[in-house]
Formats: sequence, structure tokens, C-alpha cells
Amino acid sequence: MEGDITVTSSNRKCSAVSGSTRKIKDNAADWHNLLLRWERLSEESFPIAGNIVNLRLNSSQSRQQQQVDEPLSPLSAPSQPTGGAAELQDECCKLQDILNNMVVVVMRMERLMVSQRGVLDLEEFQFGPEGRKVPLFHSWTTKQFENSFRVLLDSFRQELQLKQTILQELAHTVTSDLSMVYLSCWLHQPFIPPQTRMMLEALLLETGHRPL
Amino acid sequence: MSKPALLSLQQTLRKSFHSLENNQKIWTSVLSECSPLMESLGNLAEQLRALSNVQISNTPLRNFPDLEERLRFKLLQATDTVLGKLNDKMSALQSVRDAISNQVSAVFQQYEQNTDSLDLLAVTERSATNPSAADMLEWLQDAERYYRQQFLRRKTLLQTLRADDLSLLESTPKRWKSLESPGAEERITDTLFKVSFFMESQ
Repeated sequence: MEGDITVTSSNRKCSAVSGSTRKIKDNAADWHNLLLRWERLSEESFPIAGNIVNLRLNSSQSRQQQQVDEPLSPLSAPSQPTGGAAELQDECCKLQDILNNMVVVVMRMERLMVSQRGVLDLEEFQFGPEGRKVPLFHSWTTKQFENSFRVLLDSFRQELQLKQTILQELAHTVTSDLSMVYLSCWLHQPFIPPQTRMMLEALLLETGHRPL
Repeated sequence: MSKPALLSLQQTLRKSFHSLENNQKIWTSVLSECSPLMESLGNLAEQLRALSNVQISNTPLRNFPDLEERLRFKLLQATDTVLGKLNDKMSALQSVRDAISNQVSAVFQQYEQNTDSLDLLAVTERSATNPSAADMLEWLQDAERYYRQQFLRRKTLLQTLRADDLSLLESTPKRWKSLESPGAEERITDTLFKVSFFMESQ
């Protein structure tokens, strides 16, 4: 698995040319690191989401069982320990924490977007609406960088919204099918396009973080 | 009765059992690698089933654009990946089957070419450490048939899967498990015990 990318002297070659190049290159590295962070948070969160669903479904099942048993054995102690509710609360807090970290990731992505917009605006100011004639790196126009970032940002924003909705519902859902759908969404992330990885690699290739 | 022909046949038999021993290990290990893949497959089938049971427009997820199609796409993509890996495992199993079949047909060919020098007495002669050639040939043939059939059944099972047939997908892990044949596997292990002295001797 790739680690975080840091700007070293070996990949600083292009940056001697202009400040815009340096900015975009740093942005690409930041995007890569943010994507990795999101992935790590995602992996961390999945077993917790699974626990929440199991706790919820088990507690609703045993409550139903209690209602069946009770008329027959009124003297027996309640079978559902109160610890279940506390554990559920715990897991929900953990998940909320992870989600808060994901919010920070998306916020940073938005900041990168603003910075990228700045680079594009500067270019349009210097060279007119068509931008510079010669690409900063290998072949991408500055507009293409912005488009790539925008697609990524929109996907993650949407995915974050989905996760926030699911978090609110997860601990209250008693039907196993719907719980399963929530978990599927959480794991498979329907709004992150499958070509995200490839897009990121293309970005890193273009900006020289990866050798061609 | 020709001693050299028998000795030569025994050499080939030894080679065949060594091959059987190695390939049995490979087969077992590849098959065990299929178990987590089958579990994933069952898991994904469960998720697809849950998705088709839920009316998204009746849930808090209703405002997310094309959520159902996107999720289904991701689930089918994941299913494809698992099936791809299973396919790779099948190739490995096929190699095992081929190796055993080739080895066994070689030893049978040798036997058939030398039937004039290998009379009934030679072929049924046995000692404390050496089973008879006839028995050993039979055991090899049984083992070869077992792997050939196993491969065929498993390959057929996977080939009948279709992306749009969810119930077929759901029943696959169970059907895969039902192809297990512990009795036959044990017979092969037994065979290898029975020839263990023979394999070591010269």
C-alpha cells in the first residue's frame, strides 16, 4: 500500500518553472493523502457499523422473545441486560467520531478546490480565457485539473451526506433488510466512482509524483 | 517373467504416487482458499437480496439520486471480482487434475506396452513393503477419476452462475460445500499410507 506522499527534492523538478506548478503538484499530493485518510477511516468504521446493526437487531429480537415468554414465567428475571443499550450508545459515539473526521477530510478537499480555483483564475488573468498555451506538466490543462478535483469533491461530498443519513438511522432500524442496505451503502460507497483510484493515479502521473 | 519390466513399472508407479502426494496437498490448499471466496459470494448475494427487498423510496435514503442503481452496480462489481478470483482457483485445480491425469495415463501406457513381459503373477505379486502392481494401478486410477470428477462438478457449478439470477448466486456456497467428498479424500490419504514403504524403497 502506498504511504503518504511528501514533496522531496527528487519530485521538485517541475516546480522550478512556476508557482502554479508547485501549487498544483502539492494539491495533487494532498488529494492523495486525503483519499488515503478517507479509506482508513472507512475501514475503521465498518466493523463498528456492523456492531450497531447486530446490537439493534438482537435487542429487538430478544424484546419480542420477552413478550412471548413473559405470560408463561412472570417470576423470571428480564432476559435483556440493560448493558445492551449502553453498548449501543458507545458504538454510535465511536461511529460519530469517525464521521466527524470524515467531515474534516471533505472540508480539506473543499479548501484544495478553492486553491485550485485560484490557480485557474490567475491563469485566466495572465493568459486570457483559454489559459496558457503550454501545459504546466505533461498534457493536462489547468481546467482539466480543476475538473478532476471537482468530480472527486462532489463524489465525497455526496458520500459523506449518505453516511450522515445512515448514521442517524442505523441505531433505530429494526428491519434486517434495511439494516443490510445501510451496511452495504456504508461499505461499498455507491457515490465514490469506481474509477476514483485510476483518476488519482492519473493525477499523480501527470504531476510527476509517480514516474511515467 | 521379466524382472526389469516390473522394476521399471514400479519406478513409474513410485513417481506417480509422489506426484499424487504433492498434488493432493496443492488441491487441498487451493480448495481451502476457495472457502473465504464462497463466503464473500454468499455475503454479496445476501446484500443484493436485501437491496431488492427494500423500496428505497420508502426509506430515509429516498433523496439520494440513483442510489439503488449505484449500490447495485457496486455489489455486482464486487461479485464479479470474487468470481474472477474463483476462476483463478479453478485454473489451479485444473493444473492439478491435468498433472495427475497425465501421470496416471503414462503409467498405464507403460503397463500396456509391457503386458507380454508382465504376466498375472508378476502383476499380483506383493510383499510386506510393496503392494501388488495391480492394486497400485487400481488405486491410481481411482484417484485420477476422483479429481477428474471433482474438477468437472465444481467447474460446472461456477459456469452455470449468471449475474441476473440471484437465487442461483445465493445457493452457490451451499452447493459448493455439498460437493465435498470426505470419504473419497480419505481413501486417497489411505492409499498414500499403503504405499508409503513402497515409495521409500528402491
